[in-house]
Amino acid sequence: MSASKVKMRDRKMKNQPASVQYSSPSAAAGSSSQNGRQEAKDSGWQRNPPPRTGWVRGYQRDGGGGYMTEMPKYITAGAFARSRAAEVKAMLKAVTKRTGSNHVFQALPKHMRRRAMSHNTKRLPRRLRDVASKMVISANAFSCFSDSSMLRVRSHTLLHQREKSLQAGSKKKKELAKSKSRKARRRHGNLLLEFNRRQRKNIWLETHIWHAKRFHMVKKWGYCLGDRPTCKCYRPCYRAMSSHCLLLDISYYCCIELRGEEDTLLTALSQLTSKETGPTFAAALCLSGCRQGSVTVYRAGQYPSHPLGPVTFLWRPRAEGSASRQLWIWAHPALKQDLLPELQRVCECFEAVVPPVIPVATPAESASTLESEPKPEVSPKAKVTPGGKRKRSRVDAGGPPAKKILGDGTRSPDTPVTWKSSSSGIVINDLTMEMVRYRLVGPQSHSVLTETLEAATDCDEAGQSQASSLWWPQHCRDERKMNLHQQQAEVFNTLKGIYSSGEVPPGTVLGLTVDDPRLTLPAKKVKAMPSVNQSQEADEEKRRQLMLQGVPQLCSQSCLWEQSVRDNVTENKISEQELNRMRSELLVPGSRLSPTPLQGRIPILLVHQPGKQVGNDMSSWGAGWDLLLPKGWGMAFWVPLVYRGVRIAGLHMSLKRSQNQGAPHFPHDYPDCPAGIRFQEEQEAELLDKFKRRPPAKRTNYIKHGCLAPFRCPWQQLVEEWELLTRQRGDGQARSTTKPKEEEMTPQPDHAGTKPQSGFTVVRSRKSLRLLSAWCKLPTSRGQRPGRGGGAPPLQQSAADAFLASHRMSVAWVRLSLLSKGKPELHAMVCAPTPEDLKLLGKRDAGTCPQEPPHRDDFKSKTRRRKKSSKTGAGPLQSSDYPGTEASEPSVDAEPDLVLGVWPDPLPSITSHCSRVTLGWVTEGDFSLSAGCGEALGFVSVAGLLNTLLSQPEEHRGKVLLRNPSSLHYRFAQINIEV
Amino acid sequence: MVRVKSRYLLCEVNVSESSDLLLLDDRAVAGAVRSAVARMHGDYGAALCSIRFSVKYLNVHNGMVFLRFPKSCFQFLWSALPFITNIESRGQQIPCFLNCLHVGGTIRTCQKFLIRYNTQQLQRILPKCKNAGNTEKDHVCQEILNCLPTRGTKPTYEGGSEFEEDERE
Repeated sequence: MSASKVKMRDRKMKNQPASVQYSSPSAAAGSSSQNGRQEAKDSGWQRNPPPRTGWVRGYQRDGGGGYMTEMPKYITAGAFARSRAAEVKAMLKAVTKRTGSNHVFQALPKHMRRRAMSHNTKRLPRRLRDVASKMVISANAFSCFSDSSMLRVRSHTLLHQREKSLQAGSKKKKELAKSKSRKARRRHGNLLLEFNRRQRKNIWLETHIWHAKRFHMVKKWGYCLGDRPTCKCYRPCYRAMSSHCLLLDISYYCCIELRGEEDTLLTALSQLTSKETGPTFAAALCLSGCRQGSVTVYRAGQYPSHPLGPVTFLWRPRAEGSASRQLWIWAHPALKQDLLPELQRVCECFEAVVPPVIPVATPAESASTLESEPKPEVSPKAKVTPGGKRKRSRVDAGGPPAKKILGDGTRSPDTPVTWKSSSSGIVINDLTMEMVRYRLVGPQSHSVLTETLEAATDCDEAGQSQASSLWWPQHCRDERKMNLHQQQAEVFNTLKGIYSSGEVPPGTVLGLTVDDPRLTLPAKKVKAMPSVNQSQEADEEKRRQLMLQGVPQLCSQSCLWEQSVRDNVTENKISEQELNRMRSELLVPGSRLSPTPLQGRIPILLVHQPGKQVGNDMSSWGAGWDLLLPKGWGMAFWVPLVYRGVRIAGLHMSLKRSQNQGAPHFPHDYPDCPAGIRFQEEQEAELLDKFKRRPPAKRTNYIKHGCLAPFRCPWQQLVEEWELLTRQRGDGQARSTTKPKEEEMTPQPDHAGTKPQSGFTVVRSRKSLRLLSAWCKLPTSRGQRPGRGGGAPPLQQSAADAFLASHRMSVAWVRLSLLSKGKPELHAMVCAPTPEDLKLLGKRDAGTCPQEPPHRDDFKSKTRRRKKSSKTGAGPLQSSDYPGTEASEPSVDAEPDLVLGVWPDPLPSITSHCSRVTLGWVTEGDFSLSAGCGEALGFVSVAGLLNTLLSQPEEHRGKVLLRNPSSLHYRFAQINIEV
Repeated sequence: MVRVKSRYLLCEVNVSESSDLLLLDDRAVAGAVRSAVARMHGDYGAALCSIRFSVKYLNVHNGMVFLRFPKSCFQFLWSALPFITNIESRGQQIPCFLNCLHVGGTIRTCQKFLIRYNTQQLQRILPKCKNAGNTEKDHVCQEILNCLPTRGTKPTYEGGSEFEEDERE
């Protein structure tokens, strides 16, 4: 019998009773030698033997020989009973203890056994789980040793046991740290502390908990944001966008407030923008305050290079009798770190205003920081004790109870948020997370708003006469302000009669004061429907005015602009608990609270978001409203909105929205902005990581597919190659089709090294874009709308050359719609078709599309060899004292990212790598539900585009080929540039 | 399902002189059974008896014996047991007979039966105890209390500790 078998048998027999008999020399020799150990250990009942016995077991030979004298002469009833009882005990032990088997689940009846129970302890009933998990751990520890010889095991047992005890110790410690019961952890105060701790790293939006229960959360730009819902709702979300209403929480957008004289502000800001890209900060409609504007911001005075990104802005309507203006600039958080220093530079605001010592404005922050900061000074001995205990002791000592963090929880209170300029008098104020911003997308978003919100009711005489700290009674005392409020309420009511949100002039701003929407919360979820039918003459007139002229300038004013009012409203919010208590005291359950509590008046701003403005189909798709609230009121508005039957979406859907809308999405479609570059790097790392996680045999070999850059688009190299091409063509005066194959020798390494990173720009000048757009269009479509591209010169070599002179190093943002089947993917290549391809297109044969011949992968063998050598090198030795490894290591370092299936870093010529000339890449592609075909957004090199257009016949103008990175098929697509 | 099946006989060795019982050992019992079978059934029986017969357990204090027979022939072998009249052990002939109390398919059922049987016995002894003051009665009472089959106790598991004990050796 092998040692392990003996062991197994021992384990099995441990609890079994052995025969009880007096030793005899003959018996001792054979029978009980193997049972000896167990017998000696057995249950202890032999240890208090019957009188005068001292009967010994098995192999204890020293007692042998004298058995006759040792035997009792008589037995009593007591001894008899004792022997019976002892036997019962032994048998009981044998019966109740399970025998032999290692597995807990074998004790279960058959019907309770489950598949893979030994693998997953969670499948066991709860009462057996502890035992099972303990056994799993010990089995694992045991298996570590099982490969080595048994002898070694024995010699190491002591050590092993120590290890185990250590393990057990650490486990116990871990358990101790988590020892608070779930109930204790979920208690309100503790939960709040935990939430506050978790908010220190990433900012939470006010709807975070709501989202975290329903969404896949991602940490991006220092925020915790919902990416996409856990339920399957891609199509429902699209449907909501196109026919009802989709709700997004975009409170993560950063607001920067600028205050100062209008002229100084405008001159400062004019350095950041250019009129060529469209209306700037100074656009008259926006300046009046009744429209929201959007601009692309550049580094001061450096247009057209060095763009920063798009921002939207909102001027506060002029208050009578003061020249000071207030401007909010809303920017994406990825953009803020670039934008804020630039704004400070332009406005010469370097004087940081240190926030007051006890910031009254943010009581929540002060509470949390008061708790954390003075701790070391107060009790130096508390430093020694672990964190949790210290916290508790401080709370006991009467420190302020934990408060919910509102706004930015990551910022320390003494970081300056305000900067002012001594020369120009401009004040920059960082209002990040000071306001909540919800975006409602869809044609019915106005009906959702009008159903959810109600213009604030006046407070009665008694309330007015009382002196109170609340803002609304004071506000009510002013006659003019009340008039304004009534006008705003009227406009808001006419909003009900509108058919679709897209009918309102884009960017309209409406200020309003509303009642607490929690008061009118429906008992059940309802779907807000438009109420168009109630049409009276006067209403009709008003509605027409609203649709044509937008909101009157006066009504764009709102108290939300006032810092003091915002703070007042935030501080005096009625808690949910209090509200429910008041509701429970109502005489008729479920009825509305009759005198609306005075705290429940909130100033808000409604900002219209334009939908699809470019292009000729589906105009104003995705129009909607933005709802701006003071902070702290996020959930109070969120839940009532959700109860009106809207769909909620996350970041993923907002990307899809801008794709359907044909608008560039900020960090994705701005490859020339610093934020865009950062985003590209992140995306590359993420995609490469995902790619590397696949087993090599299951990866796409991008080299064989002729795809040089499946994870990142080398725009810089693209524009440089095209520039070189056009210059050579200009030298040679070769007017026929380009032969990019000649340029195999393009010196790549030097232009990768010498040129700055973002030497290329994206064409954003309206005039140039219009020209390009006209050139891309098919002549037939131009014929349909003769007014559109009439002013553009016809596409000729001279015109193209003139255009190229100014846009040598540019890429243009284009929209591609597939002519046949196919779904473009991320980083699909946009290629120029050859004349033969275009002939193929003329046949209208659905099945045929040009194909790329498969490429050869020269790196495959090299990668293999590298891998093999590194493996053999690493196998027998770990240290570097072996010469072979030292020799092989530098070569590995030289090309560290030799991943199977991806081109190593110095890329060959991009344009001429495939059989068709590459023009650019797709940055976002999908099957478009609105267009019913594959649609893609991407960038193409301007030089390449013009070259292609020139060489194409009139009827095939603007046709390009699209090829996915993991496919060899080219698909035809039509280029659109929309202005 | 698929296993070697046996029958376990729980027998009581009855002797006239109870101190004789203490002389017994398992080899002696096995020898007695073998010889009885050989006597009654000849060579065939002896051969059957040599296959998988064994004495699994013997308690000399009360004469409890577990005998294991192959299932196919246990009745055949069992029929020889009444013919055992004495057992030779340690050079002494102990006159006795075997009384079969229980036949079980596993040792476990025999053990269970034995528990029940023993507690029953104890309870039957209790009223009969009267001599030597109260000491004996107390003893018996004590023992009864000690070995009360604790009903409802779940089987206990000591997986981890088992491992540890095993590795300590």
